Amino acid sequence: MAPTRARVRRRGAATPYLFLTPYLLLFLVFALLPVVLGVWLSLHQWDFQLPNKPFVGVDNYRDLFDSNSVVYSFWWESLGATGIFTLLSVPLLVVLPLGLAVLLNRAFPGRTFFRAVFFAPYVLGVAVIGLLWRFLLDANLGLVNRLLGLVGLPDDTAWVTDLPWAWISLVGVTVWWTAGFNAVIYLAGLQDIPGELYEAAKVDGATAWQRFRHVTLPGLRPVLLFVVTTTILASANLFGQSYLITQGAPGTSTRSVVWYIVEQGIAQNDAGRAAAMSITLTLMLAVVSVANFRIFRYRED
Amino acid sequence: MALRRIGLYTALVLLTAVFTVPLVWMVLTSLKSYPDAQRIPSTWLPDPIETYGYEQLLQAGSQNPVLRWFANSMLAAVAQAALVLTTASMAAYALARMRFRGRGLIFGLIVATLFVPPATQIIPNFLIVDTLGWLDTLAVIVVPGAASAFGVFFLRQFFLSLPRELEEAATLDGADTWQIFTRIVLPLSKPALATLAVLAFLTNWNDFLWPIFVLFSGDQLTLPAGLGLLQGAYQTDYPVVMAGAVLASVPAIVLFVLAQRHIIAGVSRSGLKG
Amino acid sequence: MNSEERPKDNLISRRRVLGLGVGLGTAAALTLAGCGGDDDTPAASGDGGKTYTGPKVDLNLWNGFTGGDGDIFKKLVDQFNTEHQNIKVGVATYRWEDYYAKLPGAVSSGNGPDIAVMHMDQLATFAARQIIQPLDDVASALELTEADFAATVWNGGIYKDKRYGIPLDMHPLGFYYRTDLMEQAGLDPAKPPTNRQEFEAALTALKAKNIQGFWMSPFQFTGGMAGYSLVHQFGGSLFNRDTTQAVYNSPEAVEAVTWCVDLVKNGHSPANVGQDADYVAFKAGKSAFNWNGIWQINDLKKSPDVKWGVAPLPQIGSKQAAWANSHNFTIVQQKRGADANKTAAAKVFINWLSEHSLDWAAGGQVPARKEVRDSSGFQQLTEVGKLAPELDYAAFPPALPGVGDVITTFYTAFNEAVLGKKDPKKAMDDGVAKANQLLADNAKKYGA
Repeated sequence: MAPTRARVRRRGAATPYLFLTPYLLLFLVFALLPVVLGVWLSLHQWDFQLPNKPFVGVDNYRDLFDSNSVVYSFWWESLGATGIFTLLSVPLLVVLPLGLAVLLNRAFPGRTFFRAVFFAPYVLGVAVIGLLWRFLLDANLGLVNRLLGLVGLPDDTAWVTDLPWAWISLVGVTVWWTAGFNAVIYLAGLQDIPGELYEAAKVDGATAWQRFRHVTLPGLRPVLLFVVTTTILASANLFGQSYLITQGAPGTSTRSVVWYIVEQGIAQNDAGRAAAMSITLTLMLAVVSVANFRIFRYRED
Repeated sequence: MALRRIGLYTALVLLTAVFTVPLVWMVLTSLKSYPDAQRIPSTWLPDPIETYGYEQLLQAGSQNPVLRWFANSMLAAVAQAALVLTTASMAAYALARMRFRGRGLIFGLIVATLFVPPATQIIPNFLIVDTLGWLDTLAVIVVPGAASAFGVFFLRQFFLSLPRELEEAATLDGADTWQIFTRIVLPLSKPALATLAVLAFLTNWNDFLWPIFVLFSGDQLTLPAGLGLLQGAYQTDYPVVMAGAVLASVPAIVLFVLAQRHIIAGVSRSGLKG
Repeated sequence: MNSEERPKDNLISRRRVLGLGVGLGTAAALTLAGCGGDDDTPAASGDGGKTYTGPKVDLNLWNGFTGGDGDIFKKLVDQFNTEHQNIKVGVATYRWEDYYAKLPGAVSSGNGPDIAVMHMDQLATFAARQIIQPLDDVASALELTEADFAATVWNGGIYKDKRYGIPLDMHPLGFYYRTDLMEQAGLDPAKPPTNRQEFEAALTALKAKNIQGFWMSPFQFTGGMAGYSLVHQFGGSLFNRDTTQAVYNSPEAVEAVTWCVDLVKNGHSPANVGQDADYVAFKAGKSAFNWNGIWQINDLKKSPDVKWGVAPLPQIGSKQAAWANSHNFTIVQQKRGADANKTAAAKVFINWLSEHSLDWAAGGQVPARKEVRDSSGFQQLTEVGKLAPELDYAAFPPALPGVGDVITTFYTAFNEAVLGKKDPKKAMDDGVAKANQLLADNAKKYGA
């Protein structure tokens, strides 16, 4: 697959395309084509085996905005749930890991150990962390309330069945689970900032905070754009945590939109409706992300 | 100076406690018997230490070939990480450093697919792998996932932040694009590549929605898809679940510890720059 | 549902797909998925399951029997395989939720099993989606009639006048009690409460000893199933007779749910009981009573320290009723057309296993077949046998395609009521409004 030296030299104009080809093949078949197929599904009432898969035009989209439709309140409620989670979790997941990364980027004995510790939760799958925390957070039997009781704090908080506690639990668990992920990305980004810049700043008498503000942050800007974007998207993809830990409780108030879409497509056998929701959600996320790109690009130039 | 060091360690130790207590609980629970794990109030230490969870996991002749699932998962995760590293690094380099027609459009399209929630794409993807005849094969859990835009976007951002001077100097020395890419850019990007390798491995290693949907024979399952079968439908058998989690996390932690030396490039890099 | 229109619809689909520039292969897949096994009338081969004399066949069976159940089922299958030289049944097990999710895709891509075990409430959905095929001929050839089963179980396998499932077992909700805690509260553990008065008196006695007698879970497992049972006990129902309307906001149903909510208010249950916490508390001796599935019998036997007994649900309302479900055998539609030999062999297997369901009862289920229930072997399974009387008044979910998400509205409403988020009446009203929308939507989707 790799372009050979000779080929690169001979066809200079083709070089970029040769570099791109292996990935684009994958991309076209397994990333772009499913989206196109999703658009087609969204215009139908579609189920694997149902004999009748009628073309329904934009009905599946209209239902999302028609307050009399069967999906309307579920859809907007789940979208709101994901929105709340994203707003609460993204700032924490952008800022805390940055602090962690700066801390762990220093040379001190045992830093390999600490790095592994903070990354460790992320190696667990969501199925495991879900069961683990559901047990720990149980209002009546869980370890968290017991420890809080031991230090004299209220020991009857309904961590998974009441609001706002369910959100605090979901955000807290997610920060615990994925902070190491973002920290590692920052850590890799920090390696790209030339050490001379720090030395120069030190010579100029800059304080630690000034060095962070004027050397580290600007140097991390492309990485920061990446982290902010992917964290927003990861939070918007909330599914397993709420499915396993709060199970939507109370009622359906913590059911996330991705969970609802998967349920529509797979459990309720309506892939067309699910596809319409997926595309609408994608467009919403695109709007958020474009705004985010704008902010960063503006500051890059 | 000593005071600051104490502050640093205090902060780290406190954070470490928060991060590790649930994990310690997981390991301890994996060493309990089934009734012992259900005591209320729950106890920390297994009494007595039992290998019940691990025995359930690995019992010979059971209908659950856990070691086989482990091997499947390992093969799939390594293969997918390799595929991601190769294809994404080449594409990202082109997008970061080369000027060509359609660059904006291609990058825009790639980033746009990041916005599509992967969990909602199961049915379209299923129809595609079915057409390719890949259902219930290794390919189905290796290849489609490698199309994720994550790797390309990630590496492009890193390549953008690399200083250009080295590449420019190499061009003046007569190196071609491929040489610059393999001999200068890739070695300089070791931290990013090692990071991506770990993340790509883990994404595949922990995925279970997709494997459950596209694998049909018991022998083909991956570890996370298979571990669910070890407990009954109506009870959570914590020792078994936690033993499975311990088993699944060991290779991932080992990989991380090995990779993290490369994530921190250290002195060698600044030497290059001089 | 008109079969004449189907090919045309598929052609249109194909053109549309191609028009969007999607590859040929995908369109073919979509088209094939659309007509998988549509017109196969079930092969009425052989004698409908008494014997199979054809060439050797391999059959694939899927079930959701994870954990200990799976081992018992596997042993039965092994025994069948040794007794039948020309049939080999291979078993694949998935977790139920994964299993139901993956079955349609597997069947439409030709990777499905020959035989599928399914819960009764799923039969109509999978029948309407043409994933399983009618097996009236099995029933008639085996001379199985309602008299061989309990009417509630037998009739649950019918969708649109055709039979799709042969019941294997039924699993009701039972009343588990801690004998040690009852003694502590001065109650006679040999006489567990059987009606409202006794049940409430027992709770009061337990409360006097600072024991919260009956932890009320707000989740489907198991509080929701208790609520479901009580709605029927109080004379209500989830749906009207022809399942066109949800009616669980009736005064009777609201009274039933209110009774559950009051357990929390009156201190017989803590608030905010988590998923599984009710059962964990029962095992740990914190809760004296637990209404839970018959399947917990085997689990409780694994904990010798727990002193417990099991009985039919006490009658809290005006009549007896208990939530129940049932595992059924079904025969799966094949994409490439039915293989008459396989179908015949599958029927032999289903009949054989149904006759041998006593061994399955050891897995903690009541056998569906009457002759097996009446056998002395079953009578010796004391705990499981204690719940067999519930078969006569079991409240099974209706045979309605897409009923799963409709029933979920009840469990959600129940959750909101027990967690105190909504007044019971308001919660049930809101749930019913959603349920009726879903029912209308399903009627459109499945052409009911």
